[in-house]
Amino acid sequence: MGWSGVGATLAGCDMPSTVTLEEGKEEVVSYLVPEEFVIPGVGVWYASTCRQCPSGCGIHGRVREGRVLKLEGNPESSINKGRLCQMGQAGLQAHYNPDRISKPQIRRGSSLVDATWEEAYALIAEKTANISGSKFAWMTGSVSGHQSVLLQAHLESIGSGNHFVHETINNAIWAKVSEDMLGDSNPRIRLDKAQSVLSFGADFLGTWGSPLHFSTEYAKFRTSPRGTLIQVEPNMTLTGANADLWVASKPGTEGALALGIANQLVSKHGLSMSGLSSSVQSLIRSHTIDETVTATGVDADRIADIAATLKRRSPSVVLAGASAQGHEHGYQCVAAAMVLNIILGNIGETIESNGEFAYESMAPVSGNTQSLVAFSQAAAEKRFDVVFFSGVNPVYTAPKSLGLKENMANIPFKVVFSHFNDETTAMADVVLPLASGEEDWGTHVAPYQAGVGEISIQQPLMEPLSKDTRGFGDILLTLLKKRNESAYEGFADYYAYLRNAFTTIPAEHKNGASDDQFWADVLSTGLIDVGVIEKALKIKAVDFDMPKDMGNSSDMVLAPSARLGFWDGRHANLPWLQEAPDQISKVVWDSWAELHPSTAKKIGVKEGDMVKIASASGEINVKVYIYKGVHPDVVAVPLGQGHDAGFSRYAKDRGVNSLSILDPKVDKMTGELALYSTNVKVTKAAKTDDVLVRFGGSETQIGRKLVSTVSADVFERTEGGDHVA
Amino acid sequence: MSLSNLIDDWSRYRKGREEGGFHDYEHMWGMSIDLNKCIGCNACSVACYAENNLAVVGKEKFEKGQGMHWLRIERYWDEPDLGEERTSEFQQHGASFLPMMCQQCNAATCEPVCPVAATYHTPDGLNAQVYNRCIGSRYCSNNCPYRLRYFNFWSYYENSWPAPLQMQLNPDISVRDKGVMEKCTFCVQRIRTVKDSASMENRKVRDGEVQTACSQTCPTGAIEFGDMLGMYDPETGVAETKVTKMWRKYQVELGKTKQNKQTPELRGYRVFEFLNTDPCVMYLDRVREV
Repeated sequence: MGWSGVGATLAGCDMPSTVTLEEGKEEVVSYLVPEEFVIPGVGVWYASTCRQCPSGCGIHGRVREGRVLKLEGNPESSINKGRLCQMGQAGLQAHYNPDRISKPQIRRGSSLVDATWEEAYALIAEKTANISGSKFAWMTGSVSGHQSVLLQAHLESIGSGNHFVHETINNAIWAKVSEDMLGDSNPRIRLDKAQSVLSFGADFLGTWGSPLHFSTEYAKFRTSPRGTLIQVEPNMTLTGANADLWVASKPGTEGALALGIANQLVSKHGLSMSGLSSSVQSLIRSHTIDETVTATGVDADRIADIAATLKRRSPSVVLAGASAQGHEHGYQCVAAAMVLNIILGNIGETIESNGEFAYESMAPVSGNTQSLVAFSQAAAEKRFDVVFFSGVNPVYTAPKSLGLKENMANIPFKVVFSHFNDETTAMADVVLPLASGEEDWGTHVAPYQAGVGEISIQQPLMEPLSKDTRGFGDILLTLLKKRNESAYEGFADYYAYLRNAFTTIPAEHKNGASDDQFWADVLSTGLIDVGVIEKALKIKAVDFDMPKDMGNSSDMVLAPSARLGFWDGRHANLPWLQEAPDQISKVVWDSWAELHPSTAKKIGVKEGDMVKIASASGEINVKVYIYKGVHPDVVAVPLGQGHDAGFSRYAKDRGVNSLSILDPKVDKMTGELALYSTNVKVTKAAKTDDVLVRFGGSETQIGRKLVSTVSADVFERTEGGDHVA
Repeated sequence: MSLSNLIDDWSRYRKGREEGGFHDYEHMWGMSIDLNKCIGCNACSVACYAENNLAVVGKEKFEKGQGMHWLRIERYWDEPDLGEERTSEFQQHGASFLPMMCQQCNAATCEPVCPVAATYHTPDGLNAQVYNRCIGSRYCSNNCPYRLRYFNFWSYYENSWPAPLQMQLNPDISVRDKGVMEKCTFCVQRIRTVKDSASMENRKVRDGEVQTACSQTCPTGAIEFGDMLGMYDPETGVAETKVTKMWRKYQVELGKTKQNKQTPELRGYRVFEFLNTDPCVMYLDRVREV
């Protein structure tokens, strides 16, 4: 797979390993005859794009002697501005992972055996030769850029429109509500302008939207005049841990609380309800303080306080995330939060339009869980003969109650593009080993960009570790050539395709540079801003109701909380992240169940004890962590662990997958999985020898001045206004 | 060596910076960490693993306290300064996060106890660890009030980096073997690289030119790193660095066991400074609306 141009700086090294002088080992300097411009011992930084989550942050990779050693954020990227999160840092361990698949595999009976690419392609060609479009499907994670273009082309070449895009961690309902109420599915959130944020479970520092981007904005939000953050959620997320006021909510009552706050703003603070439909206006009127207290269990004073803070600390912004949207009435909960934005006059102030990416075929396609449900259903109905999977692990992320794993047996031919032998890969008929994020070419358009239209370049940071892995774009191109040779014969590989694509970009983006110069510039900065089509938000009156009897079951509710770390479970194979203590519980190498002290007392468990969490759809046994950051009626089991043995030596036999026991409930408006609506019974279970290991000896400072806290008043008095240095 | 000589030397050593003579500092690297901005996300800690060849030890060894996290995020639930959490039903002001790494003390308690002088103070103001000299007495670790020295109880290179993970190892620094103490170096290899290139270009190091891995990656820019002695900039004619500006703004001074601030309410403190360790890391207080 030849590269030329800047890419060639990385070519020409064989497999260097640790530096040693021992007989028969590698040379001290990996390049026997180094390229002219390479200085042994001096690292060079190349721009690329992080592939650890769908946010699309720009990165720089430090390359020395043909190896990529360290990743940093690309300062040119408007998304992460030079910063990188722990998942991004650990991208190197996905690349250098000892458990990566290095050869194509073909199923022979019950096992997958190594094969050649020719055999794999031949088998795929045979199985897809005369397939009718309706019998074929793609299932992928969020996708954008030229990979999306080729993927659509591949679907078209088969005559299929079946593309299931799945992400467990998503903003699908927020997007739908924004589309319905503001006319833009992806509005821009101005944390930097906001003086207060009320977030219903939107973990914008961890998993919501574009976490790293919002972290950089959060820093501005917290400088004088310092904004106030109020977080309402069933169990503490990273964002909740940084809140000025953290309010525990019983899952499903977020919408009622939002309407109760709206009621206060209207009745006590005289804000207008104009722009809202009459049904929503009467819904707000009916959510009096007494009604809201009954529905949510939150104190009347607290509700009044939150309303007063939002009014006083204007402009505000109200967000809703996973724990607010994960219900059968998830749409209504998120819509109620958006109603607050309208009442508070935030539209056009702190909520703006991001504009629309100008090139539709490259625009980001964001995943959701509705597609997971639909896919499982379609598989159950035996609608597909051939399915291609890439960037998803539905067998792990689908609740067992969906029956997806069983339904997979109805798909006669499954091709999985994969880096690791995860749960979905293990069921494949053909496994195509992918190049890592650090070995592959690509273009990516981040789903959330602050008013710009950047295309971020992914370029290889080193030679592939294995000769038998292939880039995603390269495989797509090969598959397309086999179906339509004439249209793609000019492109030797995906690099050539991209190179050509950048010559066809409208001249206005090239600043008068020649094609070669333009390409070199793009590679060196790592991105190009092609602008957006300006849009304006327009408030639209929407009708919705709020069910009254939600969240009042006597059972507890399971919260499958996501974390910046393992994400949806995809990073459990990275040792740095296994050993990085969870931000909240500080647990390492394990799963845990979060319980409130009062609940733990009722069940009769203490930290490290085992509990059985049983839903109608299954049960898990997991160790307990007890703290005051969880609602007493909630048991939270963060995502990530509980993988099948084959996935990785690091994830093997570790913890549980809380997604597995969820009931198959969905949000009635959007069909999204209702992740926070499974009722469970929690009982004490027999202890095992396996202990819960946590970082840190003490939960308190024992009176020492380790973390000193001052009030926001003192902060403003000493550092606000004229005192800013 | 008489007792009075010993005490005299010791006293001169402790006052080395204020009175001069004992140390001729070329640089004195320091930090300012804003806990109002720190979100406790762990990015700095993992960046440190990537930069400094830190071993992953596994669950069993981690349980024994053998984790090698040079930079760790401590998380506390109580707020002694606000005083109300103990009785409330919920954790209503969230958590208190503290990024804790070697404080590069100017009067480091680890240094004088080392029987072989494996830990010593460099002309860069760094508390250095000479791996080749270390005999693993662990006196230094025992004497560190911050508990941020990490001992290699095992030969981690044997199985912490199964192939091809070892290809990620940073060749600018070594992998440590069993029996050796290690700790945060303020990314001394990055300092070295910048100093070398500055000297080859026959100029002085510029402010901001050296960035530690943690400070570089911090999503909220909470960690500021730089020279506490200032750096003369020929363009602006100013000798202050970002870090000296921060320390001056927050009225925190080196060489004190108790800060005497003109504005007593102003944020800014050093952890355990009353122990006279004279740390080069200043923390800015966490802020909460109460």
